[in-house]
Amino acid sequence: MSRPTVAFFELASCEGCQLQVANLGEELLAILDRIDLVEFRELLTERPDGPLDIAFVEGSVVNAECEARLHAIRQRSELLIAYGSCATIGGVNAMANGRPISEIQAEVYGDQAERFAAARVRPLHQLVPVDYFIHGCPIYPDELIKVLKAALAHLPYNIPDYAVCVECLLNENVCMYEKKVTCLGPVTRAGCNAWCINNGNVCYGCRGLVSNPNRAGAEAVLSRYHLDSRLIANKMLMYNGALEPTDE
Amino acid sequence: MSGVLLYKSELCGLIHFLVADQTVIAPVPLTHGQFKFAAVTTLEEIALDAIPTLLPPKKYFLPPQESLLQYDTTQGEKMQAEVAIEETVLFGLHTCDLAGIQCLDMVFADRPKDLHYMIRKQHFTLIGLECNDYCDSSANCAMLFNHLPKGGYDLFLTDLGDYYFVDINTHKGDLLVEKSGLFVPVTPAAQDNLQKLRQIKTKRFKSEIPIRYQDIKPLFEASFESNVWTDIGAKCLACGNCTNACPTCYCFDIVDEPEFDLTRGKRLRIWDSCQHENFARIAGGENFRKERGDRQRHRYNRKFHYPMERYKQIFCTGCGRCSRTCMARIDLKETFNALIEECR
Ligand code: SF4
Ligand code: SF4
Ligand code: SF4
Ligand code: SF4
Ligand code: SF4
Repeated sequence: MSRPTVAFFELASCEGCQLQVANLGEELLAILDRIDLVEFRELLTERPDGPLDIAFVEGSVVNAECEARLHAIRQRSELLIAYGSCATIGGVNAMANGRPISEIQAEVYGDQAERFAAARVRPLHQLVPVDYFIHGCPIYPDELIKVLKAALAHLPYNIPDYAVCVECLLNENVCMYEKKVTCLGPVTRAGCNAWCINNGNVCYGCRGLVSNPNRAGAEAVLSRYHLDSRLIANKMLMYNGALEPTDE
Repeated sequence: MSGVLLYKSELCGLIHFLVADQTVIAPVPLTHGQFKFAAVTTLEEIALDAIPTLLPPKKYFLPPQESLLQYDTTQGEKMQAEVAIEETVLFGLHTCDLAGIQCLDMVFADRPKDLHYMIRKQHFTLIGLECNDYCDSSANCAMLFNHLPKGGYDLFLTDLGDYYFVDINTHKGDLLVEKSGLFVPVTPAAQDNLQKLRQIKTKRFKSEIPIRYQDIKPLFEASFESNVWTDIGAKCLACGNCTNACPTCYCFDIVDEPEFDLTRGKRLRIWDSCQHENFARIAGGENFRKERGDRQRHRYNRKFHYPMERYKQIFCTGCGRCSRTCMARIDLKETFNALIEECR
């Protein structure tokens, strides 16, 4: 079997997901046996220009430059995999969508604002067709491997469409609500093996909402802890600020 | 079968005896008054006062993820079934959990028989422990008579002060008693004390919900279109905790997981839940239980109605786990009371 040509790209992001890939350890060696890695900024200096079998794209689209790059990558590649919340749902970048862009530009760049063009923050699938999604901030390594296997085999990857609570209970964590701490696990789609809760943190909802989430029910649960509704909305928007009605 | 006594001073010795050649699983404490079943090596680690654990013991008979077979497509359709198992003792099972295991036994022995479950089950020794009083207010075991032992164990311990009364229910239990040499014959006083405890229990444990066993199935038949389900649906987050925590829920999905060479791999069985949005979604996108309320109604009917038709048995053990684990506070006893109220 010939090895498929694979490249990793980044748009507006912290490149933390790329680091997750670089940190895979022994698994990375198994992956490199199966693919021909031609571009990966954190690991390689080459920037070839040929056609690709698989393009992994990290980061969100925040301006015309990102948009042009994304279209060029899509043209070059047979398959496109959005990886990391920035790319799959907009992620933390999309917090900017809650305010007028000019206001944010002025706050960040002061009188230089004009030199930094910015637009509404968008995840990749709002601009180009995306073949696979790997959610998470950062991505969960086990899921990356599952998606890569699916892509290599040209099989669909079914993203869990149930709550993080499922994986949390399988790990037998004492529920954060038992500890009187709020947690977005009940409305966030699983697939990370409740990574954060296993490590003593709450779920921030980085993988995006389950389909058809019970927002009113979740707010009722959160407000039982006397949290003001703005705080709740903010919590939900931390990662989900780029959601379009058609994404749900 | 017969009974023996185990003095409490010998309990430490019993655990020591058991761990010598098998894995011993027992409830261990977590924080916030919660417990889980985990492997132990000494008596000190075991919580003898545990309330029902976060996950029920089904996690050992029907693991959340298990490999059913290995496949290799380079060899045609070659498949090799596998069951990973070691000799294991489950210690400290309350009567509700023993009832749950008996329900699973019934389902997996039903045709088509589930050989993975049945093979695995043979490697377990089950040691029960009676509740002299309620674990907490979420429990509803007495309404289903599951606060008392009804078999399903090898040995069953009842705390009578200085000693445990031990009921021996199987040949396996008999051998264990004989080989360990830690048990002593029953005395008339011990028989007497056991009777007394059971009498006290009839006062402590009263049916938690005002309904007779035989009226439960008709209640669910009558309440199919009830508004109670709509109300519950509005609160439910569909997180699936209630089914994963339930000792008698057994729905699963099957997925193939390939190796990197894409020719070999494993066929996995993983837990699924009727509470998930996509559980009842079928080809073409149709979803015949799209509403959360419909899914909760389904869950309740799968405990109190449908198994009565198929197995003449209610599939709720009364452990209270679904109520304890629900952050939306959907409570089994409250649901019953609302249904009873409405159908009066
Ligand atoms: S801690 Fe969070 S993810 Fe875990 S069960 Fe509770 S709400 Fe769900
Ligand atoms: S637990 Fe929540 S915040 Fe943490 S990785 Fe999973 S989805 Fe993201
Ligand atoms: S635990 Fe509660 S919120 Fe979660 S699915 Fe069950 S009833 Fe709904
Ligand atoms: S329905 Fe609830 S109380 Fe009944 S066995 Fe299941 S978890 Fe326990
Ligand atoms: S539900 Fe009943 S049998 Fe089960 S632990 Fe509680 S008191 Fe014991």
